[in-house]
Amino acid sequence: MKSLLKVTNLSKSFGAVPALRDISLEVMAGEVICIIGPSGCGKSTLLRCINHLTFPDGGFVELGDVYIGREPMAGGKVRMQSHSQIDKLRPRMGFVFQQFNLWPHLSVLENITRGPIKVQRRPRPEVEADAMVLLTRFGLADKATAFPAALSGGQKQRVAIARALALEPQLMLFDEPTSALDPEIVKEVLLFMRELAESGVTMVIVTHEIAFARHVADRVIFLDGGYVAEEGPAEELLTNPKNPRLREFLSQIDSPVMGCSA
Amino acid sequence: MTLDFSIIVDNWQLFAKGAVLTLVIAFISIGIGFLLSIPVALMALSHRWWLRWVSGAYVEWFRNVPFIVVVYIFFYGLPFAGVRLPEAVVGTLALAIYASTYFSEVIRGAVLAVPKGQMEAARAVGMSYFMGMREIVAPQTLRLLLPPSTNTSISMIKETSILSTITVAEITYQGLVVQGATFAPFEVFMTTAVLYWLITSIFARFMHGIERRAGIAQGGNQNRHSLADKYLQIGTKRVQE
Amino acid sequence: MDFDFWGMIGAFPSLSRAAFTNLTIAIVAMSLAMLGGTTLTILRSFGISIVNGAISTLISFVRGTPILVQIFLFYYGLPAIGLDLTPIQAGVLAIAVNSSVFITEIMRGGLSGMDTGPVEAAIALGVRPRAIWGRVILPQLYIRILPPLVNELTTVVKGTALLSVITVIEVLRTAQQIANTTFRPLEPLLAAAVILFALNLAISQAGKHLETRFAARRG
Repeated sequence: MKSLLKVTNLSKSFGAVPALRDISLEVMAGEVICIIGPSGCGKSTLLRCINHLTFPDGGFVELGDVYIGREPMAGGKVRMQSHSQIDKLRPRMGFVFQQFNLWPHLSVLENITRGPIKVQRRPRPEVEADAMVLLTRFGLADKATAFPAALSGGQKQRVAIARALALEPQLMLFDEPTSALDPEIVKEVLLFMRELAESGVTMVIVTHEIAFARHVADRVIFLDGGYVAEEGPAEELLTNPKNPRLREFLSQIDSPVMGCSA
Repeated sequence: MTLDFSIIVDNWQLFAKGAVLTLVIAFISIGIGFLLSIPVALMALSHRWWLRWVSGAYVEWFRNVPFIVVVYIFFYGLPFAGVRLPEAVVGTLALAIYASTYFSEVIRGAVLAVPKGQMEAARAVGMSYFMGMREIVAPQTLRLLLPPSTNTSISMIKETSILSTITVAEITYQGLVVQGATFAPFEVFMTTAVLYWLITSIFARFMHGIERRAGIAQGGNQNRHSLADKYLQIGTKRVQE
Repeated sequence: MDFDFWGMIGAFPSLSRAAFTNLTIAIVAMSLAMLGGTTLTILRSFGISIVNGAISTLISFVRGTPILVQIFLFYYGLPAIGLDLTPIQAGVLAIAVNSSVFITEIMRGGLSGMDTGPVEAAIALGVRPRAIWGRVILPQLYIRILPPLVNELTTVVKGTALLSVITVIEVLRTAQQIANTTFRPLEPLLAAAVILFALNLAISQAGKHLETRFAARRG
């Protein structure tokens, strides 16, 4: 397997409060990684630092063979890329938000096509045709002209995922994609994400759905206090946690409601 | 004591001229003021402290100094700096700058009212900050912008009266001229006031029409019906069901 | 002609003294306006349609016309219908009436957002309207609307500078007098601007301070 994303010694503080300390991780092409951990442990910050929605204080992020943000130069020097350079690299990673963040003044189709048209400057007819293919695949073809306010939570999150995929990213980042959803809809979205995973999309998912992580993730990373406290194959790590903090965390969080055994 | 409004009829041309100039000055200075306010608001929203500081100082200065003082400073300051312009232009310029500080606060408030996630989603698909502002945030501020902009514009229409002090021949100035000639101050200034009242009322009505068309709800909480309404819902017309 | 910096500095003492006139006028006018605004608000709650119609017209008129014209109406217009006032009296009255209307609007906004519970309870207990206003509503309301009231006070201070036009010897008028003797209008004007700016900034900062104190006491 080929390495796709490589994060080295990433750190980030907010004021005096460290959120990420020296995080290193690697994601292979086609792999699905779930990041779990107690709230406030830096999961979301890690995801946002990877695509530089938040700028990390130190460390490197490498996607394929391209650095984003800081790049190491000859002689041990580090160069900071310009904002516009980072803006260009950012959509190589699709980002899905907890609160969907669909644009309410644009139709579903426009939500999906605005990025490719404005950022990638691709011709509108082509982008719209591609978007319709995506929407059809997601079972949302009849909602193309609808506005986000008319959609259910699950539909909104599917549109948000379609919006991210429309830019043909190499990697998808999900920031607690089901936390803002009603319980009965969580399952619908998780099943949908599982299909996506099975189609070979590389995914990094911050989630509280342990059962989902167990079934879908190749590897699980347990983040605690800004450190990678434990990582390993999903089944192994979740069944036989070595880290006492992880054991405690799992005993608190594992409730039957969150099951995704289908 | 008798009031004689015939002198108003005799001098209607002066009042009409004044009203036209008031409208022209208000229209131009509100337009320029709004355009100027956009960079001021963007600076106030910047993450660079010194841009925020410059914008904040500009806004605080003009918001805390009376407009009449601002007008005088422009009126004496521009010639001092070697710029000679007609009074009406000086006045329009001063009002435009004064208005820009008020509009910038309106814009800043509207942008802050758009959830942060909207811009983040724009950045996530690769848009730059400015593209995100233009494509995603700005369109969503329009409906938030309209009601407070109407109020600010009405304030600025009223501020034009102060330009009479630097001899700009708008409504108030014409009122003073007619008053000097006729010594009928009550009739003259009542007429002057009513002219402004007409202009601001018609403008407000017009803008509320636009707001309704844009689907901006008017009025506050109409679902609440309480014993306490007699005390707490004063001067708000109850909506008929 | 060069800018006479020391001329500007030299204008500060006499202008600062004149600024006390502005502050005094502002405080008197604001106090009257608080009284006026409260009276109008309570009057409106009686729901007498003629009274409410008159008040609505007054509000619309005052809000729809420039304060400068209102000052002219009081200064030039009232003597014509038999009411003679000194410039200061006319000015204070004009500003007070103007501000009363804006305070009435501020109070309306504050009332409509207030918790209905205490008032409902008072009504249910048969508390008299006078006590409902005096004991239940107004104390809460004044604290609640403190920020817009402070803002209104800065507007009133700005309004006092307009009284220079009707010969009240306040900051701006004093600056003009200095200009008339030195033939340098810009320096005293800028000094007057700085003084009024400082005065208003002090008021809004004091307002913020009070606001946090009240917030702390409530919390």
